[in-house]
Amino acid sequence: MAQAIDIQGVVKRFGQKLAVNGLTLSVPPGELFAFLGPNGAGKTTTIKMIAGLLTPHEGAIHVCGHLMGTNGLLAKAQLAYVPDQPFLYEKLTGREFLHFVAEMYAMGRAERDENLTKLTRQLDMEPFLDRLGGTYSHGMKQRVVLAAALLHQPRVLIIDEPMVGLDPRTVRSVKDLFLEITESGGSVFMSTHTLEVAEAVANRIGIIHQGGLIAVGTLEELRATATRQHSLEEIFLELTETSDAPIEE
Amino acid sequence: MPLSKSNPVFEPAGLATLARVKYRILYNTVREVIDDAPVKIFATSGFIFLIWFALYALFLLVFQYFQNNDLQFVVAVPLLFNFFFVALLVLLAFSNAILTYGTLFTHEEANYLLSAPLRVGSTITLKFFESLFFSSWSLILLGLPLMMAIGEAYDDRGPLFYPMFIAFFLAFVPIPGAIGLLSAWLIARYLPRSAGKLLVGLALVCLLAVIVWGMRSVRDVGFVTNEWLDGFFGRMSLIQSAILPSTWVSRGIEATIENRLEDALCYLLVTLSNGIFLSWLAVRIVACGFLPAFDRARSSSGQVRRSIAGASGGVAGRIFFFLPRPARLIAAKDLRTFVRDPLQWSQLVILFGLMSLYLLNAPRFEMSDSPTRLSAFVPFLNLGAVSFILATFTSRFVFPMVSLEGHQLWFIGLLPISRTWILLAKYAFSMMVTGSVALGVMLLASYMLRIGPMATSVYLVVTFCVCHGLCGFAVGIGARLPMFQQRNPARIANGLGGTINLICSVVLICTLMTGMGYVTYRVEDRGITTDAPRVVFMIIAGVCLIGLALGTLAMWIGARHLKRIEL
Repeated sequence: MAQAIDIQGVVKRFGQKLAVNGLTLSVPPGELFAFLGPNGAGKTTTIKMIAGLLTPHEGAIHVCGHLMGTNGLLAKAQLAYVPDQPFLYEKLTGREFLHFVAEMYAMGRAERDENLTKLTRQLDMEPFLDRLGGTYSHGMKQRVVLAAALLHQPRVLIIDEPMVGLDPRTVRSVKDLFLEITESGGSVFMSTHTLEVAEAVANRIGIIHQGGLIAVGTLEELRATATRQHSLEEIFLELTETSDAPIEE
Repeated sequence: MPLSKSNPVFEPAGLATLARVKYRILYNTVREVIDDAPVKIFATSGFIFLIWFALYALFLLVFQYFQNNDLQFVVAVPLLFNFFFVALLVLLAFSNAILTYGTLFTHEEANYLLSAPLRVGSTITLKFFESLFFSSWSLILLGLPLMMAIGEAYDDRGPLFYPMFIAFFLAFVPIPGAIGLLSAWLIARYLPRSAGKLLVGLALVCLLAVIVWGMRSVRDVGFVTNEWLDGFFGRMSLIQSAILPSTWVSRGIEATIENRLEDALCYLLVTLSNGIFLSWLAVRIVACGFLPAFDRARSSSGQVRRSIAGASGGVAGRIFFFLPRPARLIAAKDLRTFVRDPLQWSQLVILFGLMSLYLLNAPRFEMSDSPTRLSAFVPFLNLGAVSFILATFTSRFVFPMVSLEGHQLWFIGLLPISRTWILLAKYAFSMMVTGSVALGVMLLASYMLRIGPMATSVYLVVTFCVCHGLCGFAVGIGARLPMFQQRNPARIANGLGGTINLICSVVLICTLMTGMGYVTYRVEDRGITTDAPRVVFMIIAGVCLIGLALGTLAMWIGARHLKRIEL
């Protein structure tokens, strides 16, 4: 069975700066993978390459067996991407936006309505779903965008900082949704600075620093590699305590 | 949540889906404006109608003048049409380039659509049509008055004149649209790091070239000498080249007016087929090379700026030496932002640059030897032009300044300074920018027109008062009706507060210009001198007082409201 996400030797440069340096990483179906790293480490660049927004200078990325690039449409049909700054059309209501998303993913009306009803309840969107997107708070936007990502039941969910701006109840609902996805065979690739969330829900954790993957494994495996064990926070700080200067080619 | 059923033959959504969502956005926007801001619709429609009517009157005047001349169709009308459509070709190409660059390479929507399973070609086609739709302002604002004026001036026009004119216009618009799309793509693909500056730079270079070319065409007047006429037509042949789309449209409209329908139809089909082909070609090229261009545009790393400013705000801070230290820093910060934003300073440079060029060439038109009535009238017109340019600038760039601080107000609100001083810092910055440019241009105008020290002083003082009034309105109304949640300055300027500010600015200018118009009328024989009637000086004092008082009142209202806002 193909990996949900398969990244092989990916390199990405921004001018002289090497943003991602030979990254190799696989995420199997049914796994929640937490992607950690300091600011500017290359997390968002990696995520954008997986989502097909940026093209690697070297290496290849497959999503559910489809090469992102030549088979980009098939790969994108299998995934959903939620950026750290959620995008919504300000002059569409949440419901209109979700209908648009359903149409883009060629969903039937019955399937769309069934999924929408369930997500509306789970993410508590009913009070604002028929208001224009421009009037939403950050948390409301985040919930609608998350619903848009999950509406077509993607096999891979890529999400950048999922918990920022959400109230504790919604955070709990989102965690439950993630578990539901992985239990049914889907994968979640989550970038976050909230180490407690990663510690609580991730099956495996990867730490990227200065464009390269410096550690990957379960929490227990990471503890085994670190000299000062205990919490994920301490492991993270130990592994990333080298210079923060960007790599120049 | 269960996974989606595997769909091995996934059929991506096409243009129809995107078009439907765009229609819905347009519908919701119009409905929201009708429900929430009917004043805005009224004001916008009113201004459009005013501009439309002024253009119609101008075109009609020109055509009626030509009608009294036997050579009208031989010389003047073809030239006028060519000028009009060449100018439109350049304007629309720039307008489309800026629009498509923004929507394809900088907006978050492009990010979203690219991550969705949509064909890139569908996204490009949508954005192309979107920019064509927004470019259609040229048809409403410029094309229709021209068409109506021709229709009014030429009774013997062919029966199909109106539908053919619109058909020509619609067939023509995709050509600059395609040029704009390709230009935006080329800039993103090969020059992403300075795209904004490059577009502004290109616009300035084109403008300069057109001005130099225009000046060469009319300088060294005697206008009516044979040498000048030969040289003039030689230069005009450039814009009448048979390969230019503007020439096809011009000749086609001429043929329609003269009821030569077969010729007109031929030109229409040439324009239409070229428009369709160029559009198809541009969309295909951009779709094929879009991802590398998008990648480059998005991959640009931010430019490191070395600031020479010290703790006191550096040179920018020293300019505002008269302000208390924290207010000085805020004003210096605004000045630095202004200098680093080409969109802001380029508008002032272009508009006042054009005006300065006209003033530098004024003596060539023998203005100084013209009848005294004209000498008195021209400075008055200069004041009007400067005032309206200032109003454009303050409405678009000064008004949103307080709202744009919304996200930093938690920080600025904690500074050891009253909010009134924050407002005064904004005022000081805007007065410094607008005042120095406007007073400089008015001083140049006075020098070139040799209007005497008394008149020069009067116009400088009045210009200062106009600046104060407009800046006071923009800052004061901006603080009274802020949009703290909005980060887009264009949207802030287009909101209710921005509309009210624009209306107030126009009313203020009209009021002051009415007073100065009366002064000009009273002193038309001698100009403003020390021995002018007493009433003239009283009106001038009244004009200044109105400008100063209304600007100060707006500032006071804004400051009072800002003090009461709970952050």
